[in-house]
Amino acid sequence: MGIKVDIRKRYYRRKSDKKKGIDPAFMLDASFETENELVVLFGRSGSGKTTTLQCIAGLLEPNGGKIAVNGKVYFDCHKRVNLPVQERSLGYVFQNYALFPHMDVKKNIAYGLKGLSTEEKENRVSEMLHLLHIEGLESNYPSQLSGGQKQRVALARALAPKPDILLLDEPFSALDMVVRMKLREIITEIQRELGIPVFFITHNHVEAFTIADKVVIFHDGRIQQIGTPEEVFYHPQNRHVAELVGLSNIFEDALVHDVNEMHKTLRLKCGDLQVLADKPEKILSDTVSWGIRPENLRILPLQDKCCTEGENLFRAHIKSIMNKGASKVLTLEIAEHRRFLIAEIANHSFEEMEITTGDECLASIQRTKIVMF
Amino acid sequence: MDSLFQITDDKMLEYIWFPLLITLKIAVASTFIVAVLGSIISYFLARREFMGKWLADVLVTLPMVLPPTVTGYVLVVLLGKNGAIGGIIYNITGWTILFTWQVAVIAAFIVSLPLMVKTTTAAIEAVDRDFEYAAFTLGRKELETALFITFPLAKKGIFAGIVLSFARAVGEFGATLMVAGNIPGRTNTMSIAIYSAFQAGNNELANLLAIILVTISLLSMAITAKLVNSWKI
Repeated sequence: MGIKVDIRKRYYRRKSDKKKGIDPAFMLDASFETENELVVLFGRSGSGKTTTLQCIAGLLEPNGGKIAVNGKVYFDCHKRVNLPVQERSLGYVFQNYALFPHMDVKKNIAYGLKGLSTEEKENRVSEMLHLLHIEGLESNYPSQLSGGQKQRVALARALAPKPDILLLDEPFSALDMVVRMKLREIITEIQRELGIPVFFITHNHVEAFTIADKVVIFHDGRIQQIGTPEEVFYHPQNRHVAELVGLSNIFEDALVHDVNEMHKTLRLKCGDLQVLADKPEKILSDTVSWGIRPENLRILPLQDKCCTEGENLFRAHIKSIMNKGASKVLTLEIAEHRRFLIAEIANHSFEEMEITTGDECLASIQRTKIVMF
Repeated sequence: MDSLFQITDDKMLEYIWFPLLITLKIAVASTFIVAVLGSIISYFLARREFMGKWLADVLVTLPMVLPPTVTGYVLVVLLGKNGAIGGIIYNITGWTILFTWQVAVIAAFIVSLPLMVKTTTAAIEAVDRDFEYAAFTLGRKELETALFITFPLAKKGIFAGIVLSFARAVGEFGATLMVAGNIPGRTNTMSIAIYSAFQAGNNELANLLAIILVTISLLSMAITAKLVNSWKI
């Protein structure tokens, strides 16, 4: 049981390119298996997330491979099976909601209900209105709804026919923070209650982390890593994943040396920059890449050097300061090594330090927070 | 203008009522066919990929750029007693379609089809495909989706196409004259009647017919504009 996806899809710049044997402009090669859980497809725009979702939905036909949902084969290239969208029993929520503008909320929700009596339809619509807390909106038209209400109606419409699988294509990208948080809770509740697989596309790593049971990370048409949010966020397998999950400070091809089995530490040497790091359980090769999240960099005023001298402490110039609401994002240049670091610090800590652009400070790379891949 | 009122009741019927009624009959019939076939053709042009799509597009559009006399001539060649299509009809039924009001409907249909197809295709293309995809994911087949989602969302464009086609059919002259002639009481439409009256030096009649035609056109456009403005989508 669960979902098995193993597909390839090629896109050519021009139709004639295929005949001429020119390489495709984009190629999706995605293969993964998941249970009936909340799966987040995560990646940048153009990485293949939506193409994958549309192939599962049947809105796009893959060039090869197989898709099966809970034992039901949706697509099988070898057996020439390609179930029409209408027969896949799925709920799909579009990024722009795609609510039918000429129908009121009630008609929108009831549109997918076939073979039911009027009374049964009414009951199902009422159930959906209740589930998504949108009672009272049934006679409104989509143009009269707020973004959050539209999204709830779109969800209600997708869930009304009791689908086998729910697919959501960046459903919250146009909504404000508060509405997003409420809707995330609703999606999680619905998934637990119905027990159906839910595929959710996002390029917001906070969203991915908060709602996912499993995250599938896409880059350039290929899957880079599959795992729980903790696995992919704290143990990214490569640079692409590391960048996607918010590791802004990445150092590639660092030499591993001075492995200390007793203290479980090692040194990473990147040019003339050396840092001490915790030794991971396995060291895969002599050279690794490492990174640290901006929020895990500590900034200290220059005079604190005496107190914390020793571990991974570097003098740095503050090149720029950007306000990010509750925090500040600082670009730092390590004086000796001409390397740049991005640090994020809470506003209150920043104000206490009384530092500004052009000042010198100390940047501390906490060894316990270093991520190697 | 006094001479206008000298037209007797008999003449009134012959000179004014008949051309008006035959024009409306031809225009309504051709517009109905144009609306149905034009919508189907437009849907395929807007939403499907098929072999020879460009050729279909060119063939439908051709009468818009050709002089109506050429369209009329081609119809005469095809539909005449010895024509490719007319010959078959004649051999089976002994009936020739030329110089009847039915052939005027065909002529009006051909010249107004491009207006319907161009306008409607653009309107259908402008409908966001996500609405159709949403209907598919909700289990609805393509025909249901086209009828209940695509066409209702493109209705302003479809209606504009119908109005333009009707206006074109009402004003049709060249092709109609060639295939249906100018038979009083049978095929003399308003535009042909105006031309005949003018040729015969009967300017009063030409004036009256022109005023009627302009009034009908203005009224239909005003009603259309009001109706379309009242639609929210």
